[in-house]
Amino acid sequence: MFNVSNLTVSVEDNEILNNFSLDVGPGEVHAIMGPNGSGKSTLAHVCAGKEDYTVLNGEINLNGEDLLDLEADERSTKGLFLAFQYPIEIPGVTTLTFLKSSLEAHYKANNKEVLSTPDFMKLVKKKSAELNIDDSMIKRPLNVGFSGGEKKRNEILQMALLDPEICILDETDSGLDIDALRLVAEGVNNLRNEKRSFIVITHYQRLLDYIKPDFVHIMYNGKIIETGDSSLALELEKSGYNNYIK
Amino acid sequence: MLTEEKNINVEEQVIAYCKHNISNQDIKHPLYPARLGAYELFRVHGLPTSRDEQWKYTNITSKLERIPSQSDVKPVPVNLDNFINNFEIVKKAKENKDSVLVFMDGAMQSQLSIVNSDMETVSVTSLKKDPIPDWAIKLNSEKHSQNVNEMFNLNTVLMEDGAIININNNKGIADNIYIIHVGNNDGFYNYRHMINVQNGAHVNIIEFKISNKVDIEALYTSSIIWKIGDNCVVNNVKYQAHNQITIGFNQQYADIANDTEFNSFTISSGSKLLREFRDINCNGSNSNISISGINLLDGDSHIDTMLTVKHKAPNTISREKYKSILNDNSKGVFQGNIIVDDIAQKTIAKQSIDALILSKNAEHDAKPELEIYADDVQCGHGATTGQISQDSLFYLKSRGIPEEEAKRLLVHAFLTDALEEIKDKKILETFADVMNNMLNRVSKGNLNV
Repeated sequence: MFNVSNLTVSVEDNEILNNFSLDVGPGEVHAIMGPNGSGKSTLAHVCAGKEDYTVLNGEINLNGEDLLDLEADERSTKGLFLAFQYPIEIPGVTTLTFLKSSLEAHYKANNKEVLSTPDFMKLVKKKSAELNIDDSMIKRPLNVGFSGGEKKRNEILQMALLDPEICILDETDSGLDIDALRLVAEGVNNLRNEKRSFIVITHYQRLLDYIKPDFVHIMYNGKIIETGDSSLALELEKSGYNNYIK
Repeated sequence: MLTEEKNINVEEQVIAYCKHNISNQDIKHPLYPARLGAYELFRVHGLPTSRDEQWKYTNITSKLERIPSQSDVKPVPVNLDNFINNFEIVKKAKENKDSVLVFMDGAMQSQLSIVNSDMETVSVTSLKKDPIPDWAIKLNSEKHSQNVNEMFNLNTVLMEDGAIININNNKGIADNIYIIHVGNNDGFYNYRHMINVQNGAHVNIIEFKISNKVDIEALYTSSIIWKIGDNCVVNNVKYQAHNQITIGFNQQYADIANDTEFNSFTISSGSKLLREFRDINCNGSNSNISISGINLLDGDSHIDTMLTVKHKAPNTISREKYKSILNDNSKGVFQGNIIVDDIAQKTIAKQSIDALILSKNAEHDAKPELEIYADDVQCGHGATTGQISQDSLFYLKSRGIPEEEAKRLLVHAFLTDALEEIKDKKILETFADVMNNMLNRVSKGNLNV
C-alpha cells in the first residue's frame, strides 16, 4: 500500500537518507525509533513533499502511484497525511478557514461535491466530539496561542477530517504532558481501521504504550537497521541503542 | 558621482502648462491669489527631485515623460451611468440612500451625482460653482500659506473642480458620502476637495478612484483638505485602483480638533506612479486617530507614501499601520514621520510598516522616523520586509491546499490586522469583494517566492 524503496536523500550535499526502504500494508502501524540525527524527520518531510531536500534515488509509492513527482498538496489529496512535530502558527488565518480550504481542496481533487458551510460545520462538530476536542478552538487563528496539547489535537482533528490512507506522525508526543499524550493517542486509536496505516516516529516507548504498533523499526544513519515487534521498543527503553548501532 | 538629471522637457512642459492656465484665470476670483502664489513657487522650485529627502526613493521624471495629450472636448461615455452603477459599492450606496458624488476626469458630473435630500445637515457644492463658501476660501488660503509642498502648489495652480462639503449633523448617526472618480480620457486632471466637519458631526466619506479602461493615459494631482472639529467621528476609506499607466499625486491634509476620532484607511493598487502625501495634525487634545492602509502592487507599479502625523496637543493617540504586497517589478516606498511637540505630553503613537515581497524583482523602501520633543510619551515604530514563510506554505500545502490558494490565504493573513483599522464594519463589507479581486490578481502571476 505505502512503499518506500531505496530512497536516498541529501540536504546540501549531506546524505540524510541512505537507501531507505519500508513497506507498510493496509491497517498496519509501524513505529520508527532512532537516535537524534538518524533521519526520521527528514523521512517524514520527504514523504510529504517538502522541497528543501534533494532526492538522489528511490521511490515513494502510495497504492502503486509514485508520489515523488507530485507536489505536497497533491500527495495530501492522494491520501498522505503528515502530523507535524511543530505545527505552524499562522496569524490571520482562522482554523475554520484553514480546515474548510483544506477539506474543499480534497473534495475537489477527488471529484466529490464540496460541502455547504452548514454541513461542513456539522462535520467538524461531529469529528471534534468523536475525538473529545473542544471545537471552540476552530474560531481562533491557526495554532496561534495554542498549547502544545491543543496544537497536536488540532493535527489529529485535521487527520480525522481529511480521512487519509497513510498517516505519518512526526514525534507527535514531543512537548506533551501525560494527559495530553493520552488524549492524542486516543484520537489516533479512534482513527485506526483496517485500511488506514500509520508510521509513528517517536523517541520514546511511552507513546507506544498507547498506540500499539505492529512493527517497530530502528533507524540509524538514514536507514532501518533492525525490525521487530512491540517488544523491541521495550528492549530499547531498557538498554538504549548501543546494542544495535555498529 | 552620478546625480539625477531632471527631464527638462517634462518640467518645462508642466511649467508652461501652469503659465497658460494662470493666464486664463479670472484675477478677481477668490482663489486667484492662492493660485498665483503657488505658481510663483512652483515656477522657481519646479518638480521635486530625489535630491529632496522626501523624494529620495522616487524619481518623478523617470516615470513621467510628458503631459498626456488631451482633446478639448472630453467625451462622456453614454454608458457612464451604467458603468458607475455596475459597481456594487455604488448600487449599495444608492439603495441605502447615501450621497454619491461622481467625478469624471476630475470634473464633477452633477447629472450623475446624488446628494441625499434627507441629509439636511450636509451641503455639497463644487469648486466650479460660485460662490465658493467663505470657510473653504479661508481653509484653502490657510493651508497654502503654510505649505512648501511642490505637488500641492501644482495642484493649487491647476485645480479645476472638486467637492466642497460641509457637515453639520449632531444626530450621532453617520452620514455616508461616496466620492467616485472615474478616469475616462487621456489627459492631465487636477482637483481639490475641501471637507469641513463641524463640531459633533459623524460622517463616513468613502472615496473610490478607478480607471475606466486599461489604456487611458492619465496624469492627475488631487488634494483633499479636512477641517475636523471637536467631538467628531470621521471614517474615511479611499480605494484606488488605477490602470498601470496612470500617474497620480495625492495630497491629504487634515486638522483635527479636540475629542475627535478620525480613521482614514487607503487601499491602493495599480498606477505607474502614485504618490500619497499625507499631513495629519492633531491640534486638539484627547483625539484618537488611525491613518492606515494597504498597498497591492504588481507589474511595474510604484507607490510612494509620505505620511507625517503631528501631535500638537496633550493626550492624543495615533496609529499608523501600513501593509504592502509587492509582486513582479513593483516598487513601494514608505516614509513615515511622527512628530510630538513639547506640549503634547501623554501622546501615544505607534507606527508599523510591513511589506511582503512576492517576487525577486520587487523592492520596498521604508523609512520610519520619530521626532519627539515631549518627555512623557509612548511612541514606537517598526518596519519589516519579508517573503512568504516557506514553512507556512508547506504546512498549508501538506493539507491539500494548492500553492496558489495557499499563497492567497497567507497574503490575506498578512493584511488582516491592517484591515482591522477599518473601524466601520459596513464599509469593510463594502470593500470585501473588490479587495478579494485585487488580492487574487496580485497574488497570482509571476510568483517567484
